[in-house]
Amino acid sequence: MATSTRTKKKDNSFIDQLALLENADTERNHQIWARPSVPNIDPNQDPIIFQQFEIDDCVDPASKEPIIRMFGITETGNSVLCYVTGFRPYFYIPAPIGFKENNIASLQKQIERAIHSDNGLNKSIERIELTLKESIWGYHGNKKVHFLKIIFTIKYNDRQLREMTFESNIHYVLRFMIDCKVTGANWIELPPKSYSLRTKKTSTCQLEIDINHPPEGEWSKIAPLRILSFDIECAGRKGIFPEPTIDPIIQIANTVTIQGEKSPFIRNVFTLNSCAPIVATDVIECYDQGKMLQAWRDFVDPDVIIGYNISNFDFPYLLERAHYLKVTKFPYLGRIRRRLQLDMLQVMQRDYKLRSYTLNSVCAHFLALDWYYTSVMWNGCNIPESNSPPMYNREQKEEVHHSIITDLQNGNDETRRRLAIYCLKDAILPQRLMDKLMCLINYIEMARVTGVPFNYLLARGQQIKVISQLYRKAFEQDYVIPALKSEGTDDQFEGATVIEPERGYYNVPIATLDFSSLYPSIMIAHNLCYTTLLDNKDLEKLDNVDYITTPYNNAKFVKVHHRKGLLPTILEDLLSARKKAKAELKMETDPFKKAVLDGRQLALKISANSVYGFTGATAGKLPCIEISASVTAYGRQMIEKTKQEVENQYTIAKGYQHDAHVIYGDTDSVMVKFGVDNLVDAMALGREAADYVTKKFVKPIKLEFEKVYFPYLLINKKRYAGLYWTNPDNWDKLDTKGIETVRRDNCLLVQNVIETCLRKMLIDRDVSGAEEYAKKTISDLLQNKIDMSQLVITKALSKSDYSAKQPHHELAERMRKRDAGSAPTLGDRVAYVIVKSTKGAAAYEKSEDPIYVLENNIPIDTNYYLENQLSKPLLRIFEPVLGEKAQSLLAGDHTRVVQIATPTIGGLMKFAVKTATCLGCKTPLSKNDTAVCRHCKPKLGELYQRQLDSVNKLEVHFARLWTQCQRCQGSLHQDILCSSRDCPIWYMRKKAQKDVQDATKLLERFNHAW
Amino acid sequence: MFEARLSQGALLKKLLEAIKELVTDANFDCNETGIALQAMDNSHVALVSLLLRSEGFHPYRCDRGFSLGVNLNSLSKILKCAGNDDIITLKADDNSADSLSLCFESPSNERVSEYELKLMDIDQEHLSIPETDYEATIVMSSAEFQRICRDLMVISESVSVDVAKDAIVFSAEGEMGSGSVKLKQNPSVDKPEEQVTIELNSSVSLQFSLKYLMNFTKGTPLSDQVMLGLSENMPLLVEYKMDDAGYIRFYLAPKVGEE
Repeated sequence: MATSTRTKKKDNSFIDQLALLENADTERNHQIWARPSVPNIDPNQDPIIFQQFEIDDCVDPASKEPIIRMFGITETGNSVLCYVTGFRPYFYIPAPIGFKENNIASLQKQIERAIHSDNGLNKSIERIELTLKESIWGYHGNKKVHFLKIIFTIKYNDRQLREMTFESNIHYVLRFMIDCKVTGANWIELPPKSYSLRTKKTSTCQLEIDINHPPEGEWSKIAPLRILSFDIECAGRKGIFPEPTIDPIIQIANTVTIQGEKSPFIRNVFTLNSCAPIVATDVIECYDQGKMLQAWRDFVDPDVIIGYNISNFDFPYLLERAHYLKVTKFPYLGRIRRRLQLDMLQVMQRDYKLRSYTLNSVCAHFLALDWYYTSVMWNGCNIPESNSPPMYNREQKEEVHHSIITDLQNGNDETRRRLAIYCLKDAILPQRLMDKLMCLINYIEMARVTGVPFNYLLARGQQIKVISQLYRKAFEQDYVIPALKSEGTDDQFEGATVIEPERGYYNVPIATLDFSSLYPSIMIAHNLCYTTLLDNKDLEKLDNVDYITTPYNNAKFVKVHHRKGLLPTILEDLLSARKKAKAELKMETDPFKKAVLDGRQLALKISANSVYGFTGATAGKLPCIEISASVTAYGRQMIEKTKQEVENQYTIAKGYQHDAHVIYGDTDSVMVKFGVDNLVDAMALGREAADYVTKKFVKPIKLEFEKVYFPYLLINKKRYAGLYWTNPDNWDKLDTKGIETVRRDNCLLVQNVIETCLRKMLIDRDVSGAEEYAKKTISDLLQNKIDMSQLVITKALSKSDYSAKQPHHELAERMRKRDAGSAPTLGDRVAYVIVKSTKGAAAYEKSEDPIYVLENNIPIDTNYYLENQLSKPLLRIFEPVLGEKAQSLLAGDHTRVVQIATPTIGGLMKFAVKTATCLGCKTPLSKNDTAVCRHCKPKLGELYQRQLDSVNKLEVHFARLWTQCQRCQGSLHQDILCSSRDCPIWYMRKKAQKDVQDATKLLERFNHAW
Repeated sequence: MFEARLSQGALLKKLLEAIKELVTDANFDCNETGIALQAMDNSHVALVSLLLRSEGFHPYRCDRGFSLGVNLNSLSKILKCAGNDDIITLKADDNSADSLSLCFESPSNERVSEYELKLMDIDQEHLSIPETDYEATIVMSSAEFQRICRDLMVISESVSVDVAKDAIVFSAEGEMGSGSVKLKQNPSVDKPEEQVTIELNSSVSLQFSLKYLMNFTKGTPLSDQVMLGLSENMPLLVEYKMDDAGYIRFYLAPKVGEE
């Protein structure tokens, strides 16, 4: 085969990569995991400095006092567990009028009595202090009033509080962090003489320290964290999902990396039973399941644990299996779990919108090119065959179906080695993903900016970040925050405004003017905050206040010289952090780091915008409709005003070449057609207009000129596409909004067609080319030439009972009846295609498992794909260009060639007989003819040649796909086991295999023709 | 050159009505002996086989065998433009047919309308059901058969057909109840349309989907009588004969178990 030379060079890329690692650490012949030894520390002289990564709390069993625990790493890599005692929970209540210091004792007694009936303790209130504070809610002329700070020795239950309290509904850990100025993942310095070392350890940490609060300090670097990435394999039974009480764990693969280093310094696999050696990897053979788990437990001591789906599968499975095998010391791992756990699956689901979240497809998405190029580099060859389509090159992960795992385990050293390599890949990939996406660094950054513990970022939403910042600022300025009982209301206030779009395809530059951080800057500009809100009643009592009245319901806020609001301060901090990230982004040249920095500034933007959302969340902790509604009202005014200003200023009457016209505007941006036909002029005018309009608004509101779209396709509200230019020489990207390219209930075909058409339309400015392409695709679809991976639709099976019948749910039911083991379960994404059925059958009756379809050659309902999937998105993008004519895309000569597949199953198929048809003109043949009818006899040679050609082509195609799969599994001499449903190559390979068979059969018919 | 003139245009109209519910796109295979069509429905449970013999046309000319790929819905729409008494002439170029021309002439020859239908290229395997000797062959009134299907549809989606020596029983069972219709052998000579004849080698009992049978009975206008052929575990044959002009046959796979 022609491919053999190429594959030789690229073969076994994964093994090669491992081998390279071997070279890197030749000095060490054994991989050692031990941490640096603990230096001698004298609590009287040496400070301890460490970076904390996880904070939680526990209760002292004797005194019932809460204790804060901080886990962390010192600069030298020693692990630390720091117990902080003596931090008391507390909350505030407003002091009754006339309350004096000497009333405190009796009040304390009263409260104690009330609580004691509940908990049986003698004393739960440490003391009550009379303090001067001010409620965050409303402006009262900067006057502080008396509040009672009730300080407890135990954790109180805020749900039992009935009266109006302040700051009672904040979590103890967060309270501690705020009061001690500890932010997420910051450095903690314990000064000498402030702490004591524990001698009797309760954890695997090297140092255990007791300290009476407060610790302090802040650095910005990251400690040498040890990151363990692992994966387990279980030997399941055929057709049944592994159960921890029955199916053994047979392999655990681990890699350990020190944060910031490129490659893992430990790579090992624990295997049950023997296993052939793997390069650069410690193979630890165990012959007893319990011993293996124990050995693994003794091995691990990481600071961060990552993996894929570890929180919902690997960890629970390990624990339950250990429990079942009675490995008594194993649950100790439970403590390790408290270490920072980053399940990459959760990260992916949270931060990225993807079609499929299997490790396989996520890696294909993020690591594909990267892996490819590195392996090419390492193997010292050039980019192979210039015109081979990218699908041959895309790196995929071999997917071993779980039913094969048991067979591999029960084989020999070599088969277990194969399994181990597979397992090892699964362990390395999460680490690579994390490095590539810089998750850890970005999360640490976010934890520091918003001041919440690391684990909140994954487990909690946006609100807690705002709360943390609000409490911090309030704490500094002696404000107290009321603990509102949240009650959701359905009150809706008017949202953002949208200027009616003037649809069409614009082949002139369209300048886009954006308000940068519109909502945050409105809040800063007008000093909108809880603390500046003016009540009409209060207004009467105060004299000489300067205030503004907002367009919403005449809400009033005092001006900044009386008092600067907390929210504006928080927003300024976030925006300046974002500015910093943006500046870095500009300096960065590496495209991937650019993307990461972009992600960071986007996260900060979201955080800033969530402040507005926080004030508007009626079911939230501290909703304030006056603030949020005023913000949107200002926003609406500003968009309208911008439109007017631009259209009044840039006119022929005022000496410009054309009348400017705003064709569309939404929330924080307006699209202006200045009328000029070149980018240079459009950009100059855009810049000028932005500055001109900015002057009409209060600082820091700023209208920015960011980009020009040229050409621009405006489809509808929130739906448009355009070629994005920031400099007149090169375009930056193709930008689309609200167009079916990412929606996952569409098949890939839709995404590809739309993308390609847009690219042709906007980049090549070739509208007729786009039209041709759309027609060609439709024609291919009707002739079954489209690869099935393009037609697969996926949908998550989110609940077991849908009220309305849905295709994916019905299919899951049907698959369960066929084979309970391989059927999708709750939470899985079900992949399906729509197949032909009786006329008028609903989509849910026509959904079918792609693999079943492939195996049985069931005809795809091409009309469904044309009418229900392609037609709307296609018409949408073509209507602004072609108008009425767009309909011709869906019907026309290109739709008149169809292919109807014959399935191997179906009621009548076992009775039907195929009649051979002429290969030239499709007439049914009589028994004597084998290849062509007598009319086509003269063309026999030509037809034979054509058929031979097509068989050859198909064979080459199939052979390429086959070697691609072999390369992916890392071995060219073994059969392919992979059955990954996410892999487009898998579908192609299956289809190609069948095509070759069919075409060969046709070719054989010529054998008798002579 | 292909040319076929059909004096009873209504026949073609009725034929299209009978098959267009089952099949959307199909090839008409034309050769010297006539026009044939074989196609399965989308779910591959039923098959339509249709033959229009050259004898039914005056004149009929077909120099070589070729296929006309037709979207049946479109053809049916065009045929609706023909009057019931019109004479229909079909014409196509048998070497490279990309359209089929239809000409409708009113009986008095005062009105001549011409239409062109764009043809399709349909790549499809040619499937047929081999002819067999059925264990039971029933000839009965086509209207009666249609009525039975319609009536039992009220009860259930499937019907059991039991054929014994001198009677055939259609029965259905559903959520709301059950029903059955029994027809006795009735060789009444004076009213041939009420005649029921049963030829039986061994008794049979089979189950079929009524939804499909209802579709088949769209062939009722083509013939007064319908022929049913049944064998255990074999597809059912429903045939409407159009005198000498040809026939239309429907095959339906029997229901097995719970399906």
